[in-house]
Amino acid sequence: MSLAARLEVADPQLDSLLGRVSPVLKVGIALVWLVALAFTTSVVAPLLLAAGALAAGLVLGAVPLAAIGRTLAPLAVAAAAVGLSNAVFAAANVDPEATELLTIGPLRITVEAVAAGAAIAARLTAIASLGAVVTLTTDSTRLADALVQQARVSPRFAYGALAAYQAIPRFSEDLATLRQARRIRGLRGSWHPRLLLGLLVLAIRHGDRLALGMDARGFGLGQRSHYRVVRWGWRDVLVGGGSVAILWLAMQAAGVAGR
Amino acid sequence: MPALRGVTFELPPGDVLLVVGPSGSGKSTLALAIAGLIPRDVPATLTGRLTVDGQDPSTAADVGLVFQDPSSQLVMERVEDDVAFGLENRAWDPAAMHERVPTALAQVGLDGFERRRARRLSGGQRQRLALAGVLAPAPGLLVLDEPTANLDPSGATAFMAELVRRRQARDTTMVLIEHRVELAWPLADQVLAIDATGAVIDIGPPAGVLARSRATMATAGIWLPDDGLRTKRAGRRGGQAPGRTAPSAHATPGPAVVTATDLRFGYDRADPVVRDVTLAIGAGERVALVGPNGSGKSTLARLLVGLLRPAAGAVRLLGDDPARLSPAALARRAGFVFQEPERQFLATTVLDEVRLGLPSAHHGAAEALMERLRLPLATFGPRSPYRLSGGEQRRLSLACGLVRDPALLVLDEPTFGQDRLGYEGLLEILNERLAAGAAMLAATHDQHFVRDACSRVIELDEGWIAPSADGAVPSADGAVPSADGAVP
Repeated sequence: MSLAARLEVADPQLDSLLGRVSPVLKVGIALVWLVALAFTTSVVAPLLLAAGALAAGLVLGAVPLAAIGRTLAPLAVAAAAVGLSNAVFAAANVDPEATELLTIGPLRITVEAVAAGAAIAARLTAIASLGAVVTLTTDSTRLADALVQQARVSPRFAYGALAAYQAIPRFSEDLATLRQARRIRGLRGSWHPRLLLGLLVLAIRHGDRLALGMDARGFGLGQRSHYRVVRWGWRDVLVGGGSVAILWLAMQAAGVAGR
Repeated sequence: MPALRGVTFELPPGDVLLVVGPSGSGKSTLALAIAGLIPRDVPATLTGRLTVDGQDPSTAADVGLVFQDPSSQLVMERVEDDVAFGLENRAWDPAAMHERVPTALAQVGLDGFERRRARRLSGGQRQRLALAGVLAPAPGLLVLDEPTANLDPSGATAFMAELVRRRQARDTTMVLIEHRVELAWPLADQVLAIDATGAVIDIGPPAGVLARSRATMATAGIWLPDDGLRTKRAGRRGGQAPGRTAPSAHATPGPAVVTATDLRFGYDRADPVVRDVTLAIGAGERVALVGPNGSGKSTLARLLVGLLRPAAGAVRLLGDDPARLSPAALARRAGFVFQEPERQFLATTVLDEVRLGLPSAHHGAAEALMERLRLPLATFGPRSPYRLSGGEQRRLSLACGLVRDPALLVLDEPTFGQDRLGYEGLLEILNERLAAGAAMLAATHDQHFVRDACSRVIELDEGWIAPSADGAVPSADGAVPSADGAVP
């Protein structure tokens, strides 16, 4: 139940500026930012991008702070863990020329290693923030519509993926039922590997039925029309321009900080 | 072996053809063929000629098909997008679509639901939404494959009322496959009866088919429009006969097998699915758990055997909390049959499935039980559980729940998809087990089963036990709409 609710994007977010921007543009912005992040080792740039994405989500996307917090909390923990392990297990720690920061027992932590770990954690934070804002303001149906109409993705792929996405809550119910079925049959181990096979069979069968259901409604007969026409508009220009400006600022700031 | 043989019929515009047959007789195959999905989507060989409006249905797409399970035909998240899906596929003009979608929704009584999410609707509403999506492109022929199978009685009645309206208006030609005979036979202009091998028993106007082939159809296991009254009489007779115990509201139940005290459960803390339920079921008692789709029946059933842990309150199964029993001890005390058989299968063959977790001392009993449920292991043992027909899957899951002879039987929709032979066989086995002291709780929409097999009814409504309903089984008269006189 709660999983189904979590997959839904609420109306205020969908009616916001970011909600009405083309989903293809949002995915495009995310890709450009990701590529740019790959070219910087700075800590400042990713954090600025994360702040930019979150501010846009809160102000232009009408996303409640609590929703962002809930989505980001596990990702932030993951980013911190990855950053920390990179700092502890970095090659720089055994490089005798690296500057020593502290030693804990047999562990020697160097400044270079901490910097590398922090950079990785910062980049993960930026990616997570960006992803959270995009998903919290994007309706799955609109994403599929935009992919087909603006990015020329094949309808079979886009709407097939959409139907599969709708079925995600079903899989968690399938798993719960299979685990209960084991218990009532007197079997121990509610995480037995056999469950995966059962889940796979159910997923395939549901997929088959859904494909049949879609074809029964005339899917794939030929030319399709669109109930919701997605067109580029002034909002896309505004948000696209803004994203370039934030990226440029972040890169400048990284350059200044690096000097 | 062909799924269907020698099927010949001609359906004039505006007429309704009812297709009846035992489980696994090829009714769904016929529906898929008429809708043009065989052989286009489902690999099969089709001989003979099949035309809809003079055209091959696999290219013309003028046939609308409604399936049993709405979740396999709702594609989009929002109601209006889903109705528009079929129109988009036929390249309708956007302006025409925006005009057509609200009309199609209003036709099935879902006006104003445009922006709702399909997932949040009740089972009955979802099935009517599926109908709206199929009707929107105004198909020349509507094929309905057990459209009310998953619906509660009120949802089914509302759905069938829509079909009655269309029949009266004579604006839709329909092929209807339906187990609820008392609702379906009055609609039919022609009835096509098929036997278990897929051969035609009879075809023609319902009165004629009933007069000519009543006995053949009954032997083949086909439900007939006046069966509701007949099984009740059979039940009454059985009550007087030695060796068969008929349900009786006056029988004094034995010591409590399962008790629940102030039971509360919710997936979402603010909105519990089961609210403050207190009940006790004694040995030999047979309780029907009824209520609309989504009223918490399946959740309560799972709580009573400890498959879910309550948020508050307590369950005692023969004195112990079932959620704390070891799996082996739990399996000895309680048998459980899940609502959807396919989701409870854990093995790759029928033999492995029925023997799963079963001590070898019970293997003989398993074989005998499968034989009685018309799934003899010699034939069905090596097959995959997923390859069985819906009715066969249900009987396999019943065998798995009954085989250990547990003190408590909890059955979620036990009669789902059963033809007459499957139904009567199940009733007989249950009668024996209950006479021997087992207790039964059956969550069901099947009003015949409630009358034929249950001694007490508990009605759930939004998780509460409805105050007036904890009591006697409704009488045969008027509880189920009778088909008497309605059959032409």
